[in-house]
Amino acid sequence: MPAQSPVWDPTTLPSDDNVNPYTFCVELKGGQWFLQKGKMIAYYGRIDFNGIGHGRMDRLLRTSFHSPLHAGDWVVAEGSGKMLLADRAFDVNSFDLDEGNLTIRSGNLLAYQPSLALKQSIVPGFLTLIGTGKFVAASNGPVVFMEPPIRVDPQALVGWADCPSPCHHYDHGYMTGVMGGLRALTGIGGASGEEHQFEFVGAGTVLLQSTEALLPETATGATPHQAGVPGGSGGAAAPGQHGSTPRLPGQLGDLTRRFGL
Amino acid sequence: MLAVDMTGDAVKAKNGSMVAYDGQMAFKKMSGGGEGIRGMVTRRLTGEQMIMMEVKGQGTCYFADRASEINLVNLHGDKLYVEASNLLCADAGLRTGTSFTGLRGGATGNGLFTTTLEGSGQAAIMSDGPAVLLRVTPQYPLAVDPGAYIAHQGNLQQNFQSGVTFRTFMGEGGGEAFQIRFEGDGVVYVQPSERNTIGGDA
Repeated sequence: MPAQSPVWDPTTLPSDDNVNPYTFCVELKGGQWFLQKGKMIAYYGRIDFNGIGHGRMDRLLRTSFHSPLHAGDWVVAEGSGKMLLADRAFDVNSFDLDEGNLTIRSGNLLAYQPSLALKQSIVPGFLTLIGTGKFVAASNGPVVFMEPPIRVDPQALVGWADCPSPCHHYDHGYMTGVMGGLRALTGIGGASGEEHQFEFVGAGTVLLQSTEALLPETATGATPHQAGVPGGSGGAAAPGQHGSTPRLPGQLGDLTRRFGL
Repeated sequence: MLAVDMTGDAVKAKNGSMVAYDGQMAFKKMSGGGEGIRGMVTRRLTGEQMIMMEVKGQGTCYFADRASEINLVNLHGDKLYVEASNLLCADAGLRTGTSFTGLRGGATGNGLFTTTLEGSGQAAIMSDGPAVLLRVTPQYPLAVDPGAYIAHQGNLQQNFQSGVTFRTFMGEGGGEAFQIRFEGDGVVYVQPSERNTIGGDA
């Protein structure tokens, strides 16, 4: 039988630390924290939650919130007291950034101090935090830190810090030629399911979660519809199509390239 | 998973939650949660449905439900308030009943009533992720998100607190528009996860 768990009160709750692997306690002393909507589970003291479209928050937004397009998903907690954060019983962890930068999958970021600036990453679906401060992230299973050079499975990637080279890597033995194409498409002849990875080189840290189950993504906001902006191509080339030549009926498209034709 | 050792005594458990046992066990469905005709009528009227069975015998019985976390609560003559869906198992000596929760229920989507357990003994409650136990004293009132609340114990008053302003209706709400505020003396159980609630997105 499990032992009786401890009973917490405001004096024994940790300050800006984990209560258990799934719950994080933030201490507010008149300060502010940004958090994703609906992740607060309980609090002691006097804390106000304001949507960040709020006029009074305008100055704060200008310095630490740079993606007005998904402002609706974030709230500012303000006041004094202790606040518990949790996300669907996933593991939560806090990380410190010191004059650094970190890019994280949008669904994994839970809360951050306003001394950090949140920006949309150029990589669609990711957010970048820049500056000095603490943030809280959720992951499915504990987070593992790895040093580049490393290739990681796309589903296990949580984020990366200080390394500017996230790129795709394909296992060419498996991906080229007629046989390789057939293998990858049908699984006949043995597909490992690991023909495609993300590759990181250079100095920095890569954060991985210990399962390949993704957390549902939250909106990062649309990017401006401009040429040269990834994910913001607004009606120009559809993904997978090179150039703006429309695909003709009867053309095999990607298949031809895949089979090496 | 919860293991209960029994020597001829009985426990009440959520119907169908037995996963294994050794020894001799008898399972008996308790109509109306074993609260008699009056209890049956009350539960039907309040919608706080609770289907329980009585397990009696010699040996060890194992209970589990959807791999959720199990928290044991010791009761010494005091009262535990728990949502019927979060109650897994209780000593047969504990009296169960229903009580009115006030406005809170409307926002949690759990109905306006909750289940109470009274007496001395142990109860097992379920949560999505291990529950965090938070003490409430007169100096330290506590606000809880209705979706994360699972149970409370002791002499507590609960108030429904709403932060709904005109901004909520303009789609710029704080995301935490409804809270249950606990005042008094006691312990509140919160889970590190939120059920879907009507007020959840406001």
